[in-house]
Amino acid sequence: MLRYALLRIARALVTVSLIVSIAFVILRLSGDPAIIILGPEAPPEAFKAFRHAWGLDQPIWVQYLKYFNAIFHGDLGNSMRDGRSALQVVGERIPLTLAITIPALFLKVLIGLPAGVYAALHRNTAIDRLIMTLSVFGFTVPSFVLGLVLAMIFAVKLGWLPSGGSDTWLHAVLPIFTMGMIGAAVIARFTRSAMLEVLGQPYIRTASAKGLVWRDVVVAHALPNAAIPTLTIVGFMVGSLVAGAVVVESVFSWPGVGRLLVTAVANRDLAVVQVILLFVGFTMVLANLIVDLLYGWVDPRLRTKRLQAGT
Amino acid sequence: MTLIRKHAAMLVGATFLAAATFTAPAFSQDRPDITVAVQQIVNAGALDVLREQSNVGARVFYSIFETLIDYDRQKKDLPQKPGLATSWKRIDDKTVELTLRPGVKFHNGDVMTADDVVFTFSKERFGQLPEQEAARADGKTLFTATASTATEGKVPPAEVAAVANRAWPNLDRVEKVDDMTVRFISTVADPTLEGRISRYGAEILSRRAYQEADSWLDFARKPVGTGPYKVVDFKPDNVLVLEAHEDYWGGKPPVKNLRFVVVPEVASRVNGLLSGEYDFITDVPPDQIATVESNADFEVVGGPITNHRLMVFDKNTGPMKNAKIRQAMTHAIDRDTIVEVLWGGRTQVPAGLQWEYYSDMYLADWKVPEYDMDLARKLVEESGYNGEPITMRVLNNYYTNQVSTAQINAESFRQIGLNIQIEMKENWQQIFDNTSGPRMVRDWSNSAPFPDPVASIVNQHCQNGQQQQVGEWTNEEFNALCIKLETSTDLQQRRAAFRRMLEIAEREDPAFTVLHQSAIFYGKRKDIDWMWSGLQSMDFRPENFVISTPAN
Repeated sequence: MLRYALLRIARALVTVSLIVSIAFVILRLSGDPAIIILGPEAPPEAFKAFRHAWGLDQPIWVQYLKYFNAIFHGDLGNSMRDGRSALQVVGERIPLTLAITIPALFLKVLIGLPAGVYAALHRNTAIDRLIMTLSVFGFTVPSFVLGLVLAMIFAVKLGWLPSGGSDTWLHAVLPIFTMGMIGAAVIARFTRSAMLEVLGQPYIRTASAKGLVWRDVVVAHALPNAAIPTLTIVGFMVGSLVAGAVVVESVFSWPGVGRLLVTAVANRDLAVVQVILLFVGFTMVLANLIVDLLYGWVDPRLRTKRLQAGT
Repeated sequence: MTLIRKHAAMLVGATFLAAATFTAPAFSQDRPDITVAVQQIVNAGALDVLREQSNVGARVFYSIFETLIDYDRQKKDLPQKPGLATSWKRIDDKTVELTLRPGVKFHNGDVMTADDVVFTFSKERFGQLPEQEAARADGKTLFTATASTATEGKVPPAEVAAVANRAWPNLDRVEKVDDMTVRFISTVADPTLEGRISRYGAEILSRRAYQEADSWLDFARKPVGTGPYKVVDFKPDNVLVLEAHEDYWGGKPPVKNLRFVVVPEVASRVNGLLSGEYDFITDVPPDQIATVESNADFEVVGGPITNHRLMVFDKNTGPMKNAKIRQAMTHAIDRDTIVEVLWGGRTQVPAGLQWEYYSDMYLADWKVPEYDMDLARKLVEESGYNGEPITMRVLNNYYTNQVSTAQINAESFRQIGLNIQIEMKENWQQIFDNTSGPRMVRDWSNSAPFPDPVASIVNQHCQNGQQQQVGEWTNEEFNALCIKLETSTDLQQRRAAFRRMLEIAEREDPAFTVLHQSAIFYGKRKDIDWMWSGLQSMDFRPENFVISTPAN
């Protein structure tokens, strides 16, 4: 198991290094932070001074080597916008993002999972069709559209909630609700499909035939077997906790990591972008590991397979 | 805000009511709290007027800082008026003497004296001391004291030094005459000294506060000026909280707490205004004006500012080498239609690259090239143009209505026989890049930070200006006139030089052509009497902010 986990971590480190390298090259080649940060009307000598100060006037491979050398010495670099440590700049935004993405994740699971199971158990009924209609709606409506519509209704028309910002807990309601509804739709749809597939399996008929009550059949046999695809989806959602709210944060002016990422990419503030990518990579790796472990927990066959394979 | 809390309380009960009450602002106090939703507070992440070179910074800095000479900012012709100096006079071609306003207090309680003014324009503040340059090269943020400096000092970023150098190219020194009198002394005759003293970037800082800050960044995060509001909290890309400076020399500030919050999306800013979350919103595009004004409690104010939108030509590439092609393009632009259709008539076509606030230097009879498609076609014909593609590089609405304007112009250019191709670019480096394809036509805007042509045509288009620095255009006669315009003190000579420069750069050998005057619009509560400024600053001083009826 340990070897398996180490292998996964090593593979993840390679992946993150590749992402960081690709991001470095693309960001460096596609925009000059000097012009973007100082503005197109700043004097040319200011651009030159800025580029020199940040080493942007050196060949890209020199910049790349210096960047990775610094990383291996624990220096993730500074923001070119104000000179602060990129880690500090990103770190102060993470709690704000988690403040909306974690409740949203709970909302997604708490609504999506029961809705999917219920729809599957009541296949082709009116309630099933209603749930699936709402699910398709959640799938297809972009989050910025849903966000703006919700703001229009609850902030502009009804005046119940603020339309944007982060001053009070009320400001978090609409962003959480927007992400929660869209995520719940995804989970409901996957859960329903998985449940329907499992419910058609012979062992479910066997369990019913041997006299188990239907509730026990569902809880003991159907749900664990249908959990794998849902776990995968939820794993992705956990992995995107840090930077998965880019659009919603922009729509609701929520000053989290997502909005920082947009600004940092637009400004080619490389160190900040890279720190965010590292955080995202780390979260994804962690989420995947947890999901893998959970696979084994919910499905003993997978656990046995890994042990037999010696991994 | 009150409305929101009321409904929230109804919705979720007494606990929530208590929570909401905790954040109660505004109208229970003698002065209101005001929230302004902006697209961005500052681009450069710091509140330093010598680092932030974007238009957005100008609107927040006027609440924090002030210059010695100010402008009557709400008047159309923007006349100069006393600021932190009560009067000024020319001593000679190189020297201006100013009498400081007595009793002006900084946000830290210190009284402003000539020492603060001298420091504000010192090499130490500009980051131009040799010790600072050496420390900067070593990656340090502080420099160690030497014989030339009394204390350990800050090391501002290199671009601060560069911007200061450009803002004050000929400043020899600022001299203290006595505690309340200073002299600005230039190395050469400089007709623009008074203008430069009044410009954005010449705001007076507290010497003690600057020197006591732990670093340049610490000061730039919480600067100490003399403006009506002091910085309480600044989170870049998020919020700037200002508080009334009770000792403000210009009277008690009418707003208790002034918050600038970043709301990047236009629709979110409009929603927030209409829901009562914000009292003002900035950067309202013309197509959203009707939405805001559909609510009787709100209105949109604003109009032309000291910034012109330009189309810029690279005369070194392909068909653009031929001046007749560039001339044809300047005549094929239907500027009046652009202003009418895209801006709803709320801005105007200016008289070339100049503004009325140039005063004596304004050439009232100068005009942009007339819209004449027949003449444009004739010029294309005379040029011997063979249909080679002409690329127009355009950013995705970096400027308001940029893409629509480019599309209208491209269509006109096609009608005069040019093979125009629009290239959408993501950022400025891609606009300026001349290695990945021919660079021919691009968009730009030019501001005039002080009332003289040196502020625009010289700064942006002469030898040291961006257009020549990036190698798009040059002209020998024009360059000789640049020097004359900068150094001559004879008004008639300067006017003649400026006129000839416009003839060359806008007509004979086009470097650029002016499209229209830029405009900025604010959405605001109708019950607040407040005037916008052509200088883009937002003024919340007593004379420009009155709540006319009790707020609900």
